Amino acid sequence: MRTRAAVSAALASAGILIAGWQSGIHVADIGSTVASAAGSTGSTGPSGTSGSTGSSGTTGSTGSSGTSGSTGSSGSSSAGGATGASAKAVATYDGSVVQTRFGSVQVQITVQAGKITDVTALRLTDAERKSEQISNRAAPLLRTEVLNAQSADVQTISGATVTSAAYLNSLQAALDAANL
Amino acid sequence: MNAQLLSTRPEVRRGSCGAAANPFEGQHRRRLLKADLLTVLFWASLAGAVALWLADGGAAGFSTPAGAFTALGIVAGLAGMDLVLLMLLLAARIPLIDRTVGHDRALEFHRKLGKPALYLLLAHGILIAIGYGMAEGLDPVSESAALWVLVPDMWLAYISMLLFIAVVVTSLVAVRRRFPHEFWYAVHLLTYAAVLTALPHQFSVGGLFAEGTWQRWYWLALCIATGAALLYYRVVQPLAATFRHQLTVKRVVQVSPGVVSIEMSGLRLDLLAGSGGRFFIWRFLAPGLWWHPHPFSLSAEPVQFDAAGQGVLRITVRNLGRGSAQLASLRPGTKVAVEGPYGLFSSAARSRRHVVMVGAGIGITPIRALLESTPFHPGNATVILRGHSESELYLGEEILELCRQRGATLFHLTGSRPAGVRTWLPENSARAGHRLASFDPKIAEADVYVCGPAAWAQNVLEDARAAGVREDQLHYERFDW
Repeated sequence: MRTRAAVSAALASAGILIAGWQSGIHVADIGSTVASAAGSTGSTGPSGTSGSTGSSGTTGSTGSSGTSGSTGSSGSSSAGGATGASAKAVATYDGSVVQTRFGSVQVQITVQAGKITDVTALRLTDAERKSEQISNRAAPLLRTEVLNAQSADVQTISGATVTSAAYLNSLQAALDAANL
Repeated sequence: MNAQLLSTRPEVRRGSCGAAANPFEGQHRRRLLKADLLTVLFWASLAGAVALWLADGGAAGFSTPAGAFTALGIVAGLAGMDLVLLMLLLAARIPLIDRTVGHDRALEFHRKLGKPALYLLLAHGILIAIGYGMAEGLDPVSESAALWVLVPDMWLAYISMLLFIAVVVTSLVAVRRRFPHEFWYAVHLLTYAAVLTALPHQFSVGGLFAEGTWQRWYWLALCIATGAALLYYRVVQPLAATFRHQLTVKRVVQVSPGVVSIEMSGLRLDLLAGSGGRFFIWRFLAPGLWWHPHPFSLSAEPVQFDAAGQGVLRITVRNLGRGSAQLASLRPGTKVAVEGPYGLFSSAARSRRHVVMVGAGIGITPIRALLESTPFHPGNATVILRGHSESELYLGEEILELCRQRGATLFHLTGSRPAGVRTWLPENSARAGHRLASFDPKIAEADVYVCGPAAWAQNVLEDARAAGVREDQLHYERFDW
């Protein structure tokens, strides 16, 4: 009887582990395609909007944190002048680059008439496939929260605390740059 | 003095079972099946914890050294937490577990899991600190400090770790040095704090259980089910039993020096039929006593006066410690809170037609209750009582009377143990070369119930195994706690 228990337990455990492993391979494939798909849309997204407004006055992509904000703001005035006909001044500001153990995070905000109208993640944690997954899930949630709150004073996303903290840090730098 | 007081009599009175068929075969087979099922569930749950991580593509983490450390750390954490939950379930007094392997066996297993669980949790913390540290270019100590300061909920996890260490270490020390039961109990309550403080970081920091994953639901269900089982079986059911049975002390009778029988009257005792020999945890609601839980077995079948289940329960208690000493002076009318019955020292454990019951000292009293109720044909039961003197064979007269009525063979083995020899027998009997099989030649085909001090009982069990009794025929209740 004991052997029966041992054999059944071994078989059951092996079955569960193999099933987990198999679906893990499956998930890994899906995960990477989702991540790359999201990455591509993410990159097209901001180019579509900011390309028109800031005329890539978002030279903040120079990357250095504090200064990028200021260049961003200088870019905004020109951009505002350029597109002022269609809408009120639209400006984009880059946040600082925040390093985490999962990769660096940087966000860009779009400001119109003193309101945050969009938040774009320029860089998101991507050190491992797992972090990518987390980022892809957390970024839209954070964006919604920030747009609702109009500040960096929002809840972090559970399961993505590191990414959230970095995201909001970078965001605060951008807000500071925009004097919001 | 060694004496066979009673020979088997060929009278046919009780028992409905046929002479040839084994009426316990079905019950035995089902119990073994359930035991195997529990074993499978145990391992499957551990495999499941690791599979959660595998299913999330965790194995890909091994591509980098830092990832490998982190991955191993995650697996250790999952397995460690799963073990902690299993330990809680083992201690939750779940009827399925109790009726299958017995409460004491479950607790024995619970104790064995303590150290592996702690090692896994320690490995979890250390490996993660190394893995994260390597990824960030920090040494593990700075990484740990950074995690503590920067990541929400992590400080709770650190506290949890310290609590787990405290619980396991003091439990081991408490067992070894025999601290008062109360001390051990108080420390053990910290386990709940340890588990609760461990939970937040699993769901907030652990990416595996991020919102929207099925893994989160699985883990949540596991934690909630464990908590619910603890709450129901350790709090709700005992309260319900206390209110249902309304036990009050009826009288306290001196059995022999330092030993008293406590009789309690109560309601709905029909529900407790067949629990003679099983144990309850009693709290006598008197000043200075109410907070002290006493695990004692019934020393007789519940006696029922009427169809409504009004009747009397009896336990027989020896003056073992401070708490037990006070029991002798219990006043009639004292209310009694009760949890139970627990344990497998009952007919539910029977697997064979033949039965041998061996009891020593105060461990004789559950044997007395079992003898009263467990089914056997005359001539198919042997009772062996062991004590230093005749006066220590508690309830000896009642047992003699029961043996007479039911046709069981009774042996009294009295006298001190021979010095330097590991035996359960008194000196003269051991010298004569007696073994367990000498008292009952059919022992290899019998259920053997043993109750008495741990060291003595181990010797009986060894003797039984030597006589060809298989493990599933041995039923042993610890009686030294």
